[in-house]
Amino acid sequence: MNKNVAVIGTGETVFRSHHPDKTYVDLAQEAVAAALRDANMEPQEIDAVVFSMAPTEFMGVNDADKWAVDYTWAAGKPFMRIHTGGATGGSAFHGGWLNIASGQARTCLVVGADRVAETPDAQHILNLIWDRFYEHDFALNTVTMIALMTQRYMAMRGLSEEQAARVVVRSRRNAMNNPYAHLKGQITVEEVMNSRPVSTPYKLFDICPRSSGACAVVLACEEVARKKCAQPAFVHGIGGIANTVFIGDRMGPHTDAEIGDFAEFVLAGRECYRQAKITNPRKQIKVAELYDPFSGMQFPKLESLGFCKPGEAAKLSDDGAFDMNGEVAVNPSGGTLCTNPIGVTGLVRHADAAKQIMGRAGAMQVSNVQRALATAVGGSAQFWAVTVLGADVM
Amino acid sequence: MDVYVIGYASHPPAEKVLGKRLEEMVYDTSAQALRAAAIERSDLDHITIAACDELDGRSISNMLMVAPAGGYLKDELRVTDSAMVGLHLAAMRIASGRYHLGLLASWNKSSTAPFEDVMRMRCEPFFTRPIGLNATIADALFAQAQCAAGAASESKATAQSASLQRAAASNPRGLKRKAATADAIASSSYLATPLREGHCAPVTDGAVSVVLASGDWLNRHPEAKPLVRIAGIGAAIDQYYLGRDRLAGLASFKQAWNGALRQANVRSAHGFGAVEADCQTSYQALAYSAAIGLDGSPTFCPSGSAFAQNPYFCTGLINLIEAIEQVRGAAGPAQQSQTNFAAAHGQHGFAQQGNVVAVVERV
Repeated sequence: MNKNVAVIGTGETVFRSHHPDKTYVDLAQEAVAAALRDANMEPQEIDAVVFSMAPTEFMGVNDADKWAVDYTWAAGKPFMRIHTGGATGGSAFHGGWLNIASGQARTCLVVGADRVAETPDAQHILNLIWDRFYEHDFALNTVTMIALMTQRYMAMRGLSEEQAARVVVRSRRNAMNNPYAHLKGQITVEEVMNSRPVSTPYKLFDICPRSSGACAVVLACEEVARKKCAQPAFVHGIGGIANTVFIGDRMGPHTDAEIGDFAEFVLAGRECYRQAKITNPRKQIKVAELYDPFSGMQFPKLESLGFCKPGEAAKLSDDGAFDMNGEVAVNPSGGTLCTNPIGVTGLVRHADAAKQIMGRAGAMQVSNVQRALATAVGGSAQFWAVTVLGADVM
Repeated sequence: MDVYVIGYASHPPAEKVLGKRLEEMVYDTSAQALRAAAIERSDLDHITIAACDELDGRSISNMLMVAPAGGYLKDELRVTDSAMVGLHLAAMRIASGRYHLGLLASWNKSSTAPFEDVMRMRCEPFFTRPIGLNATIADALFAQAQCAAGAASESKATAQSASLQRAAASNPRGLKRKAATADAIASSSYLATPLREGHCAPVTDGAVSVVLASGDWLNRHPEAKPLVRIAGIGAAIDQYYLGRDRLAGLASFKQAWNGALRQANVRSAHGFGAVEADCQTSYQALAYSAAIGLDGSPTFCPSGSAFAQNPYFCTGLINLIEAIEQVRGAAGPAQQSQTNFAAAHGQHGFAQQGNVVAVVERV
């Protein structure tokens, strides 16, 4: 058993809609090579590999991870693919942590790639995630699903569409500092509000892009981490929770976890914070890389993860509390709103959070980050993963 | 490893489960495993799922399945490789010290899936898909490579299949199909040279759930009775492309095997009462048994392996159950001389690209 596990290297490709010059496995290899360089390691120093890949229908090769084995130097090693929908990257990171924490490995590579835009309509694929008897014909997809949840949050907590639009403005501004981000640039609240309506309350600019690219993270036990990395990002806590697929069962006075509040994160966060000894997230966590593919998701997440009380997040956001120089820098990378290669997105959140601890975030760097948080969400917003990283061992 | 099996259940084997939806199969199996372990679902601190979207016919299969599997408001992770990879992850979760009581659930209802279409779509689009590779052809290429290397022949494969089918026919936990004669196997149709239909284990429907606990949890619950300890797990993946060395070398199988034995501190295959390997074809049985020095041994696949039942994605966990029953002395007609250790194997990917071996120890 290894008590302490740390990120010692990260690698990302540039994310964009298409990479016509690279295959799926080329992308995975590019990210792995970058992560190994960052970790000052050779492929043979990796003991085990965890692959992060969500639905394969986006790019049309079942078990694409097995194809990538030859390109990620995984042959001859323990290998597994983890898949919890959009939460995959966070779950895969937890899988990498488990390889080392269990003592089965001293080093573990977590890698994933996705090509979401290979399919003409990702939302058609994402309609197929629901039950074919009850929900396929309901026009349910990830956009309409989250729109319904956000409508509920707005009704419960009083969020306005303009407040959500400010999240887009902040995210794209932050993404200008991220060399790998898909969408970036100066944008106004008016431009967000005037973009094409898609599913109330969401307009086009409130919604993430379909991204292609890859990410890799090298995890190591403390002994290796101390040798290889001047400032590792130690894993302080992990938490995960799964809920039922049926959204209607997750609202109202008798539910165990109110979907409008993303209350699953209360449960997952509580366990993660217990391990990480976090009692006041807003004071103790300097950076939060949240999995927010839609602008309105950020508010209930910040509240359920304890950064503020229910209903307070929008006002704090308006006041700049979550800006780069605010109390908590939320998504310095631009986050999922700017880059969403679904099967990898959670891993990107973890890589970008780790970079902040390691002092390797470049223009995204927030000063003096001792703790950073990363999340991922998947399925019908039913799979939830949260991780706290820190600058030293617990 | 300080990891113990305290209960398990498998769905009654069937060529096709017609009277239940998949979620009903899995709910029934997980509920039975919890009863077998004498615990409540609320006692669990996590769940691990092993399932294949494409065989289940639904992207993100665990969306619907996580609750009937037992994972409502539990910390859930899922692997897509095979049930034995799920066992590897589930055991690591316990061994990490972070988790103490978990359920592993896996299933296969491929009677409702276009099995070979799913396998064909596993091919990358540039080389292997245009030539029409699928699981059967990959297995045939493996068989050819084993024959070329002198480890197998068609007549040996026929005899091996007849032997496995006889063992399977008397396995009370299997489908109890009548065993085919060697003549019938030798005259069955070719599927892909040199594989004949009689050399291949038919895919069936099934589900398996296993309850795992830490030593710490057992110390705090002296009323709980562990069935076996997971003494060691080895896992490895092989190259994707099916070159001669890849097909003939069994590299990842040997790595997984050696890793599991090293961790369990077992010197060789002769230290096991039984080795239950995942043999989709009798050529695979010949190759595996030769690789570990058990060719012709009655301790190699006494259950009949996949010929007894073959819920493809979770056949490895069926093997785990057979191994557990062997060390407990409860394997029935398949029982070998009872020893402290037995091994279970699972494979996944084209021509056994990935392999996992688990060693279970009597407690």
